[in-house]
Amino acid sequence: YVKPGNKARGWNDPPQFSYGLQTQAGGPKRAPLTRRAPAPAQGAPPGTPPDTSAPAASTTLSPKSLGPPPLGPVNPALRTESARWTVEEPSEDCSVLADAVLIPLREALDACRPTVQKQVCDDIGRRLTVLRDTWAQGKLSAPVRKRMSLLVQELQQRHWDTADEIHRSLMVDHVNEVSQWLVGVKRLIAEMRNVPTVELAEPRDDETETLPDQEAA
Amino acid sequence: MATYLEFIQQNEERDGVRFSWNVWPSSRLEATRMVVPLACLLTPLKERLDLPPVQYEPVLCSRPTCKAVLNPLCQVDYRAKLWACNFCFQRNQFPPAYAGISELNQPAELMPQFSTIEYIVQRGPQTPLIFLYVVDTCLEEDDLQALKESLQMSLSLLPADALVGLITFGRMVQVHELSSEGISKSYVFRGTKDLTAKQIQDMLGLSRPAVPMQQGRPLQPHEQPVISSRFLQPVHKIDMNLTDLLGELQRDPWPVMQGKRPLRSTGVALSIAVGLLEGTFPNTGARIMLFTGGPPTQGPGMVVGDELKTPIRSWHDIEKDNTRLMKKATKHYETLANRTAANGHCIDIYACALDQTGLLEMKCCANLTGGHMVMGDSFNTSLFKQTFQRVFNKGFNGEFRMAFGASLEVKTSRELKIAGAIGPCISLNAKGPCVSENELGIGGTSQWKICSLDPSTTLAIYFEVVNQHNAPIPQGGRGVVQFVTQYQHSSMQKRIRVTTIARNWADAQSQLQHIEAAFDQEAAAVLMARLGVYRAESEEGPDVLRWLDRQLIRLCQKFGQYNKDDPNSFRLSESFSLYPQFMFHLRRSPFLQVFNNSPDESSYYRHHFARQDLTQSLIMIQPILYAYSFCGPPEPVLLDSSSILPDRILLMDTFFQIVIYLGETIAQWQKAGYQDMPEYENFKHLLQAPLDDAQEILQTRFPMPRYINTEHGGSQARFLLSKVNPSQTHNNLYAWGQESGAPILTDDVSLQVFMDHLKKLAVSSAS
Repeated sequence: YVKPGNKARGWNDPPQFSYGLQTQAGGPKRAPLTRRAPAPAQGAPPGTPPDTSAPAASTTLSPKSLGPPPLGPVNPALRTESARWTVEEPSEDCSVLADAVLIPLREALDACRPTVQKQVCDDIGRRLTVLRDTWAQGKLSAPVRKRMSLLVQELQQRHWDTADEIHRSLMVDHVNEVSQWLVGVKRLIAEMRNVPTVELAEPRDDETETLPDQEAA
Repeated sequence: MATYLEFIQQNEERDGVRFSWNVWPSSRLEATRMVVPLACLLTPLKERLDLPPVQYEPVLCSRPTCKAVLNPLCQVDYRAKLWACNFCFQRNQFPPAYAGISELNQPAELMPQFSTIEYIVQRGPQTPLIFLYVVDTCLEEDDLQALKESLQMSLSLLPADALVGLITFGRMVQVHELSSEGISKSYVFRGTKDLTAKQIQDMLGLSRPAVPMQQGRPLQPHEQPVISSRFLQPVHKIDMNLTDLLGELQRDPWPVMQGKRPLRSTGVALSIAVGLLEGTFPNTGARIMLFTGGPPTQGPGMVVGDELKTPIRSWHDIEKDNTRLMKKATKHYETLANRTAANGHCIDIYACALDQTGLLEMKCCANLTGGHMVMGDSFNTSLFKQTFQRVFNKGFNGEFRMAFGASLEVKTSRELKIAGAIGPCISLNAKGPCVSENELGIGGTSQWKICSLDPSTTLAIYFEVVNQHNAPIPQGGRGVVQFVTQYQHSSMQKRIRVTTIARNWADAQSQLQHIEAAFDQEAAAVLMARLGVYRAESEEGPDVLRWLDRQLIRLCQKFGQYNKDDPNSFRLSESFSLYPQFMFHLRRSPFLQVFNNSPDESSYYRHHFARQDLTQSLIMIQPILYAYSFCGPPEPVLLDSSSILPDRILLMDTFFQIVIYLGETIAQWQKAGYQDMPEYENFKHLLQAPLDDAQEILQTRFPMPRYINTEHGGSQARFLLSKVNPSQTHNNLYAWGQESGAPILTDDVSLQVFMDHLKKLAVSSAS
């Protein structure tokens, strides 16, 4: 998604791009706009508008007698992908239950306990409590809840890298909502990598990982 | 002609090199008459998807004063297993591992397509990257909150094993001890007193009964230093505590009286950061990241006093030499910058405030160390937040784009010497036979240190032809240059990238047309601009402009075709045709004109100009302008007032700003709401197309540019009007009434007037 910038605080602040859009930037690209118009013919008398090849239409349309824009088919040469200029993530009704996210996280934490320092586990636990409370108070937006449920699914399938990538996307896109507790989930993902494969849902192949931005699909 | 353009483009893609001249004049005298020096723009770590690094050591020439790297241009005797160095002609034995080579079984570095090759080598211990945050707490509540969130966010973007540290400052400077024990402890320093590195290390308890570490000698595994200290901890260990610590940061508690600025000890805070890393991690990749929301107001490095009634220095004060604090502050930061560069670390400056923050005084910290400089209005803007995120961007291969501690060595064949370099580097003072006495930029050396760089970091390197006049064209007919860049990759590996290029020599008297046809006017414009901007840092503005003008006139005299004293007969060949207009726009650019810019802004613009690659640099010199209309696809149009037409939308990219400008008619149609009517979907698309193209630029540019949506008559249209060539002004009335273009209210000369004067001067027999 693309959000408008903070015009109140920054002069001509640019729009803000979601993590997914920014990391995608390496994908297929259109030709960059780096061409320049050729220099005017040499020896033109001074003051002559150098670009006389401007479309004839330009001069006939006087602003005083403003008519409607020309009708016609959409110019296929214009490269528009207006879909990407959505203002926010689709905030479709998201019915993720808090427990669907919290219980697997608690289970994961329990799986870590035998091998990980108690203090670290307590710290993670404390953050999961913060998550539970903010969720219960309805302070989490739909996109955050949605992505958290995806993150947990990936975690259950032991797709650590994908889960980590979702955590990063949450951190970048919604830091003001998640900064307090998400670091606990991040740590949990990191610790889980080192936990020997025993419990948790069916371990699957780690190779077929998907990118977090496909969540919208 | 197309062939030379293709040649230039291929070379840039493969080797990251653009030369001003691609056929070289064979004598010193002729080379000086070419006006534009023989020079190149080099992007040492240019991203190459098709270049997998090889996992062995480069083979070096055995002559101790040469040590050039074996390359595809070397002559090889496969039977005798010998190779001849193409720089010093030494004959070298291949190392034993090369016993099996033959014409059909070549190592990669001998294949022609590997004129650029990258080696992964085993050198010394691998140390994790270090990120030391130096955070100003004299911020408004909502700025501090936004900054804290960005810092917390960054912990998720850092490499997991990176070391992080935190220093905060206001009136005092606090160095935070990081531990996972949940008890936060910090060392507090007064912000008014500078301390030596030794004092800082003593006070922080860092003076280990250290194993004496010799620089340059690879450490043995058993003497590897403890790879963390109480102040720098692996992010994966302390991320939770550091998140809390950042979350709990408060604004500087010292009261600020009315009419006063907060006391901000930036100078001491930076000094402590530099000293801390100097003592603990010399010569490893480290970033000091300074986040500041205002000027330093006390202690060493103070830029302005705390009385609000005394404004911070302006260009006017600087011209009047009325800058009591500037020189002292600059000296302080220069000393710090040089120490940081000597340690192989870098300093980023993220300055977000509406007023100046002292970038003029602090610029050397980023310029000498390859650090970033970011200037915004507030930390609570997407400009800052996304620019900061992009520091941690990854390349196509999923690796961080940042690299550290590079040294660039340039080797030349005998007919060439090295005059200097301009870019985010310092000299390594490597003297030698290939170093010229005439300096251009940072000279007197054949090696430079670049403490931090990324795949777009670009240096300008200037050469001097030393072959004597009337001497025959050098043996082999080609001149050779080798660039050897050793650096620490973000994966902590040590890597060496080697690029070897050759160009033909030509006799400038009999073969001038060859030299002329191989002129790269884009590279030449950027290389001359770098020289001009480099001079502008130390000389008066008008002197630099006069110098640039003189060079341009001389170039036109040399390469123009004309009859003496007949300006109308003047012609330039295609390979020079754009050069005068680049110079015209450069003269008007914020890199050389300080009017309407604060000293901080000038420093900021020049900082970015001195490191970007050719394409971006050229956008900065002459912004790109595209027009969108109902007639056909978007097309590039002249950066000229005649391009501003009522039924067009313009998209201008100046690198620092993206401007979308709706022509008068388009704006009226939009106000009338045609875009919402289904039958005018074509209009809706027309409005959307430039937004989408702007978005693509915004998505990748670093730093994030400002984004301006404006229309005919809008106050922000000034961004466009101040950049276009004022071919129609209120002074040349005859363009009025023609409904073509928009007259600009200015007394600046237009490109046409500029060209007329240029022609007159070029053809004049008096000059």
